[in-house]
Amino acid sequence: MAADVAAPYAGSAVCQACHEDIFSAFAKSPHHEVDSDKQRGWVDKACESCHGPALKHTESADAADVRNPSKLTAAAADKICLTCHLNTPTQVGRLESSHAKDAVACTTCHKVHADGGQSLVVRKAAAINLLCAGCHTNVWAQFQRPEHHKLPEGAMSCVDCHNPHGSIRPAMGQSFGSNEPGCLRCHGDKRGPFTFEHGPVRFEGCQTCHEPHGSANPRMLIRQQVRLLCLECHANLPTANKTGTIGVVPPSFHDLRSPRFQNCTVCHQKIHGSYADRDLLR
Amino acid sequence: MKATLAVLCFLPLLAQEQSSPQPPPPQPPADAKAPDAKVPDTKLDTPSPAPSPVPTTENWITGSVDFGYRWVSEGGSFPTYRTFVDLGSGPKLLGAEFTITDPKHRAFDTIKVRATGWGDEPYETAHIDVSKAKFYDFSADYRDIAYFSALPSFADPLLANGITLSEQTFDTRRRFASVRLDLRPGSWLIPYLAFDRDSGSGTGVTTFVSDTNEFPVPNTLRDETNLYRGGVRIERRHFHVTLEEGGTTFKDDQSVFQSPGATNFGNVLTPIFGETTDLTNLMAAYGIRGSSRYSKGLFTANPVSWLDLYGQFLFSQPQTTVNYQQYDTGNYLLQSQLLFYTSQAYLVSAASKLPHTTGSFGAEIRPLRRVRLVESWLTDRLHNSGAASSLNTLGSIGSTGLGSTTVSAQMLAALTSSLITNYNQAEADVFVDATSKLILHGGYRYVWGEAGDAVLPPEGLISADQARLRRNVAIGGLTYRPIQRVSISADAESASSGGAYFRTSLYNYQKIRAQARYQALKALSVTADFNALINRNPVAGVNYDYRAQQESLSLLWSPQKAWDFEGSYTRSTLRSDIGYLEPEDLAPQTSLYRDNAHTASALFNWRLPPVGRITGAKLTAGGSLFISSGSLPTRYYQPLATVLVPAGKHAAWFAEWRYYGYGEPIFLLEGFRAQLITTGLRLSR
Repeated sequence: MAADVAAPYAGSAVCQACHEDIFSAFAKSPHHEVDSDKQRGWVDKACESCHGPALKHTESADAADVRNPSKLTAAAADKICLTCHLNTPTQVGRLESSHAKDAVACTTCHKVHADGGQSLVVRKAAAINLLCAGCHTNVWAQFQRPEHHKLPEGAMSCVDCHNPHGSIRPAMGQSFGSNEPGCLRCHGDKRGPFTFEHGPVRFEGCQTCHEPHGSANPRMLIRQQVRLLCLECHANLPTANKTGTIGVVPPSFHDLRSPRFQNCTVCHQKIHGSYADRDLLR
Repeated sequence: MKATLAVLCFLPLLAQEQSSPQPPPPQPPADAKAPDAKVPDTKLDTPSPAPSPVPTTENWITGSVDFGYRWVSEGGSFPTYRTFVDLGSGPKLLGAEFTITDPKHRAFDTIKVRATGWGDEPYETAHIDVSKAKFYDFSADYRDIAYFSALPSFADPLLANGITLSEQTFDTRRRFASVRLDLRPGSWLIPYLAFDRDSGSGTGVTTFVSDTNEFPVPNTLRDETNLYRGGVRIERRHFHVTLEEGGTTFKDDQSVFQSPGATNFGNVLTPIFGETTDLTNLMAAYGIRGSSRYSKGLFTANPVSWLDLYGQFLFSQPQTTVNYQQYDTGNYLLQSQLLFYTSQAYLVSAASKLPHTTGSFGAEIRPLRRVRLVESWLTDRLHNSGAASSLNTLGSIGSTGLGSTTVSAQMLAALTSSLITNYNQAEADVFVDATSKLILHGGYRYVWGEAGDAVLPPEGLISADQARLRRNVAIGGLTYRPIQRVSISADAESASSGGAYFRTSLYNYQKIRAQARYQALKALSVTADFNALINRNPVAGVNYDYRAQQESLSLLWSPQKAWDFEGSYTRSTLRSDIGYLEPEDLAPQTSLYRDNAHTASALFNWRLPPVGRITGAKLTAGGSLFISSGSLPTRYYQPLATVLVPAGKHAAWFAEWRYYGYGEPIFLLEGFRAQLITTGLRLSR
């Protein structure tokens, strides 16, 4: 303790004298634990665990004499947060995170001094969506289309499907169980494994055929007519060439001039995979 | 479950009513503290290092509950309204959010509850968090979401005959529950347990497929997946390890049926070889059971100050067994042998297993103060193997035009299936803090893999497919913050491929994303976004040309406390051209898809000036519109207006008007307009 006094730290109580409102809010945030947890080594100096030694600042009252993370580069600001938070499961996918690559700092979403018990970040679905939409305007616009996942209604939030800290799945997608697509968390009936799989579902995921954020097409499909969606892949002539793409043209009895064959899923209804039929008919 | 949650949601109301007689709130604060004084007495007498900055006079319960009644007036296509909106009339618990704090920190520190949309609503949610510092964190989440889909133009071969019955409809609800308990949060060793349950049930319309006809029939859907998991987190100063084991059980009991007595002529109304085909009785049932176990290992470490390490090992192995039984009668044609038959019994036994392994490893190296090197590697391998045996018994068989006989035939089949994919990715990036305001980054990613899909013994030409993936991607980007008020970020990828799994997969592509933010005034910020993806596959016969582009502008303006405004506008264009073959004659065709859309949304909040004794009233107006042209021109309007008027210290009256208007020129019959008026009370404390 004596060594601490000798260091150029002022102590949280001194900070409180000028920053009463921040101090009060901070006292109710989970970060307040830093002020009393001996293991972390910042007892009574929680403010300076992020802002650095502030004794000089308390004497001069000059903002330039103390570290302000909001004015640092994202990487430098994150480094402060990661001093404590790096070694947590949350950060495992950090290297794959486009947020990290695009220099989106932790404090863009998290409020370090926040009031509100265990919440350093918004928790309500509607508030989460509002926060994400602040940067991802174009994505939020897709949710205004008639077919969409129920985010504008507040029934879901962006983090139900995406992990903002990064993940090994494309588009920072959440996982189900250990390594299965996060879509299966709610769509367990599409999980399988099916006796007869439909390759794209496993190889490239649901977004091969669906636009998950929203679409004007039925069932959030990426095309307005099912047959075009299917035939864009099922258009290869059978070949022994193993470097071609997957998807062979349907047999010739599929006469597209007849309405019967204009919607493939009328017959191939188990399009996500079938337990009983190789042609995905039942 | 619903009843429990309903009780839970009304808990604050009860709490509010009960709380008033306990302490004497209108009396001086000294009296109000009296009930609590017994326990803290000793604490107050002991010398405390510093008084808590948290005010001790706060309510033990805070929050609000919104409840009311909604009226819905709808015109046009009701199935489409239900597909897109599905909000109904009646009394509703629109929302609840409250926090209970135990100042004595006995069993818990805080309980936080929030709920939305209860009362036969399409989207019902409830969430609870209970925590006690250093002892436990508990959370539970429940959602019940309606999944209704019945677009008349969708999946209906008889639409041209004026029959507006979508042959693929659902009227189901999906329910999701999740419970998690973390023990000793904040310590270095954190055990945890969790349980998730996802289930669906409901009815729908699907098709029963015979050789030459398809019959729309009702079906029932019922499935459930339970996920159990537990693990331990070890969090030390220089490393972290998470080990988790879990497993699932799965059940799917969907069935398809048609009651005897009615004749279903299906989608083919014209006679074949002089006879019509029909379905008179059907019972088909799936009995699918599944299970899986999985393992998860995660780690992070920073062994030295200039190095961070990350890694994951994930393994899962779901498996299913299938027992499918089908019995049907009618008049059918076995096309391969030109035989009519009148009954069929079809049994399938099948099983499949899907081992799936994923591993990733990465490192961030900081050799210099301004330079970071990031390297990562990922592999994802799965192999599904399935086997099925079937017995198909046809009864009352007769040759075409010769009348029926009583002979029956049995067809046995045994099939095996295999689906394999090995996906790999390696990436190296370098980040340079060029100046204190400019960060540059560049990198390279190589993606490679193989995929195979086969069913044996072969049938026709599509029994085995293989493809390989080879992709080189160059990556670049910058983040520039010339002044505190302006930030610009951009990144781009450019890829060249030597193979892809599918004709529409990413091949030779360029992806660009840019964003600029300007804090013009303290109360005014403007953000502009640009996104583009250009993907081309020039391989002969494919000729895929895809271009999608989006530009957005958003604005947040709150110049004074009286009002604020937020709005955004997005224009998106999508153009896709790709060649395909007409199945009937293999004639080359081009699939063209166009989507040009304008989307705007705005919300204006106005804090109304005091009127008499009413202060703090608020008016909100805005909504969104979506207008598109191209392959499926669509208009969708969602304006709204809300007013909230305080009625006392703990109550407010609110009313909301919403309008939904949908139309498309290609399928006019799907258009609808709906007005929704909701009014109710907000009780808060």
